[in-house]
Amino acid sequence: MPETITIGKSELRKDAWKKVTGAARYVADIPLRDVYYGAIVRSSVHYGHLKSIDTQTAEQVAGVHKVVTAADVPGLPVFGALVHDQPVLAVDTIHHWGQPVAIVIADTKEIAAQAAQLVLVTVEPILPILDPVEAVELNASKLHADGNLLAQFEIKDGDVELGFAEADVILEETFSLPLVSPAYLETETSVAQWNSDGSLTVWVSSQHPFVDQAEIAAALDIPAEKVRVKSGVIGGAFGGKEDSSISIMASLAAWVVQGTVKLVNSRQESFWAHPKRHPAKIYLKLGAKNDGTFIALKAKAFVDTGAFASYGPAVGIILTETLAGSYHVPNIELDTLVVYTNGPLAGAMRGFGSPQSHFAIESMVDMVAHQLGLSAIEVRKKNILREGDQLFTGVIVNQSANSLPLALSHAENILREFEMIEAAPGKVAGSGMALVMQSMGLGAKVPDDSTHQMIWMPDGKVDLYLGAPDMGQGLIMTAEQIAAEALELPFESVSTVDLDTWNSPNGNVTCASRMTYMVGNALVDAAEQLKSQMLVQASRMMNRPLDTLSYKSGNVITSDGGKIPVSEIISRAADDGIEIQSKATFSFPYPDETTPQNLPIGMPHVLFCFGAQIARVEVDPELGKVDITHLTAIHDVGRVISRKGVEGQIEGGMAMGLGYALFENMNLKANGQWVDSFTEYLIPTFNDMPLNFRNIILEIPEESGPYGAKGIGEVTVPPTAPAIANAVYNAIGVRATALPLSPEDLAKL
Amino acid sequence: MKTLQVTFLLNGFEKTIVSAPNRTLLDVLRDDLNLTGAKDSCGGEGECGACTVIVDDKAINACMILIGQVQGCAVETIEGLAENGQLHPLQRAFVEAGAVQCGYCTPGAILAAKALLLENPHPSDVEIRDGLSGNLCRCTGYVKIVEAVRLAAAEMRHA
Ligand code: FES
Ligand code: FES
Repeated sequence: MPETITIGKSELRKDAWKKVTGAARYVADIPLRDVYYGAIVRSSVHYGHLKSIDTQTAEQVAGVHKVVTAADVPGLPVFGALVHDQPVLAVDTIHHWGQPVAIVIADTKEIAAQAAQLVLVTVEPILPILDPVEAVELNASKLHADGNLLAQFEIKDGDVELGFAEADVILEETFSLPLVSPAYLETETSVAQWNSDGSLTVWVSSQHPFVDQAEIAAALDIPAEKVRVKSGVIGGAFGGKEDSSISIMASLAAWVVQGTVKLVNSRQESFWAHPKRHPAKIYLKLGAKNDGTFIALKAKAFVDTGAFASYGPAVGIILTETLAGSYHVPNIELDTLVVYTNGPLAGAMRGFGSPQSHFAIESMVDMVAHQLGLSAIEVRKKNILREGDQLFTGVIVNQSANSLPLALSHAENILREFEMIEAAPGKVAGSGMALVMQSMGLGAKVPDDSTHQMIWMPDGKVDLYLGAPDMGQGLIMTAEQIAAEALELPFESVSTVDLDTWNSPNGNVTCASRMTYMVGNALVDAAEQLKSQMLVQASRMMNRPLDTLSYKSGNVITSDGGKIPVSEIISRAADDGIEIQSKATFSFPYPDETTPQNLPIGMPHVLFCFGAQIARVEVDPELGKVDITHLTAIHDVGRVISRKGVEGQIEGGMAMGLGYALFENMNLKANGQWVDSFTEYLIPTFNDMPLNFRNIILEIPEESGPYGAKGIGEVTVPPTAPAIANAVYNAIGVRATALPLSPEDLAKL
Repeated sequence: MKTLQVTFLLNGFEKTIVSAPNRTLLDVLRDDLNLTGAKDSCGGEGECGACTVIVDDKAINACMILIGQVQGCAVETIEGLAENGQLHPLQRAFVEAGAVQCGYCTPGAILAAKALLLENPHPSDVEIRDGLSGNLCRCTGYVKIVEAVRLAAAEMRHA
């Protein structure tokens, strides 16, 4: 690969300096004067008719300014990313436990919390529907006006019955996936400030500040220009912060009291009322020939979106598109139902449907291999997608599929290595693997433009105005590296201005494993524009024809070998009142010629990330306790932009996958309430991570990506749990079909 | 309302504050003293370690102790760690190792590591993991945090 300035290196994240000194301002940390505190009154039933809200007693408490209810919403009372079904504050019906009903606004958080207890909410409870299969039964009560089936995706390719008729072996199984929480450490927070000119300034911890802006404006019935949304430092998001609930509530409260209101969800509220990963039941039937070739796949998936749609339909799409994993199966019939229940709302979360589908298909692939007496590697080698293969959606897979055979040959060696290691006394060891295919982008026919801006400053440094927030994953560093490379400047010369919807272009939502790709492509384009604008100025000032000037590493080079620092040109231009700035938009490409047009909106996805993970476990056969001793991740990133950044994404993603495999489960407790604290909802700690952890990063350039790069954010999560489940099977011969793999179940099975 | 006067050493300087007695050290640091480096993540249940500060050389969850309990103690927060604008070796190592992503867990993890290294200047990876096991991180998978503590420990031993 050619020598680079910064691409592929491990730069030091500039935001890290503030984060290690405590100076970074997350929304709850922003110092503001005269702040009121809000406390949200929430429902304590799963389902019911909201009869009345009595705010009188609470409003008489000294220090309480107002109790806001749905009646105070001047504009649109509902919001939602894909369907407007989520009330800002409950109206008539309670749809889930913990749904916001009212907001108490008081001088201190203590007073607000006390007064919230005094708001009298009368609800006539109704028997809730908490099972997605039950929810679509004919006689189930309708949770929303259009019924309980939110979306359905049926896809057929080939003739599945004919395929099964030709199969030598057919296996069927139903897999169950739990409700899990993104569990970012910073809970949802927003501060809204009413300004005397009738505008609002709203600080958010959000993946989609421009959506917040639009949804706040709609709820308050004011023009979007009156709402200025600023991004605080974000304490993790993983998809869960694509929901405007808290920012709309803070804005409403600020609007009503004409002041500044701070809303911070407690951990419990975060569990109750913010989007999580969809629980699902996935039935799979896979037919194969004796040599391991897959011949038919049938699937039916029930995906529980909970009380409101959020991103449910889009999650259903990716779940469906990844049900066959990284394999070519000629005959396919898939049916995915996305269903409303009275559960907590599920929406976007890292993997977006693909962790669910991969647990099913990657377990099934091992089951078939076992049945046929083939190795996990052999059966996968037979069936992996190859460059030029047509997916069941009609999409042709590009060169990215070349990473699959590569990943498999690494995996083969690693499995062999793992199998040589002896188990600790009293334990049984086993190794297992899984492949992964994760889509990038929002899907065809979904508008997906991302705009970003750069300004060349008179000192020769460059300011980036990114239109989409960094949720902690390192988008800013990646963007700065790409901009620096494109402008032939050192990494240190590029910095990023805080996102503010009044100053920043709209970069769209930070999501879908496509930020490096979208932002990078836009910045490469913007950098070219910036350079040519600067050269035009240079030509004017130096009175030399444009084609005699060129740009090299921060200098203008003249045809006779002269060299003038760019800072001179820019500062002289500034004196003349000319700003050297450029803005570029990148639109996710769905070329008409190659994108099948006969599918629902959001389908198909056309670019993919592939990878493999291998786990070695030691199981205590008596207690069913699983220790993960080794994990190896093999992921193709197209091209590494930031080495440590990529490694960090993989390590963090695997930890999340490990939690999904072993502990995480936001289930109903015996008392009828959801698990809602870190005491009961366990996320991996230091000690849960394997001591032996390895990253193998593949670089098969994505031709449409900036410097060949593509996404890594989500692809790291889906293979971990099935790799672990397959390893457990290979250790103790027990096939778990539900996550998390609880010791009780493994010992009992 | 009943109040309490509490005097303690805060990042090396004597501090006297007046507070309602039922407030935690975390409340006082964040709401009264504008020291927002210590975070609340689990809602004061002692489960996450995001609020970790050092009290008399021990890592403590600031959400779990009432303000009255630090009377006469030496309290150290992340804001006091750098000296004369020079980052502490742990802070530098966290940046250099890539151990910081969203950063919400970072102040707590650094202080927990500092307390660990006070007690055990030469920890093994297993000891680092044990020492920091009360500090949750959802972003990094912990790999680079262990690396950062290992790097800083080596540097501090040689200093
Ligand atoms: S806030 Fe979680 S332990 Fe203190
Ligand atoms: S870096 Fe985000 S929680 Fe640790």
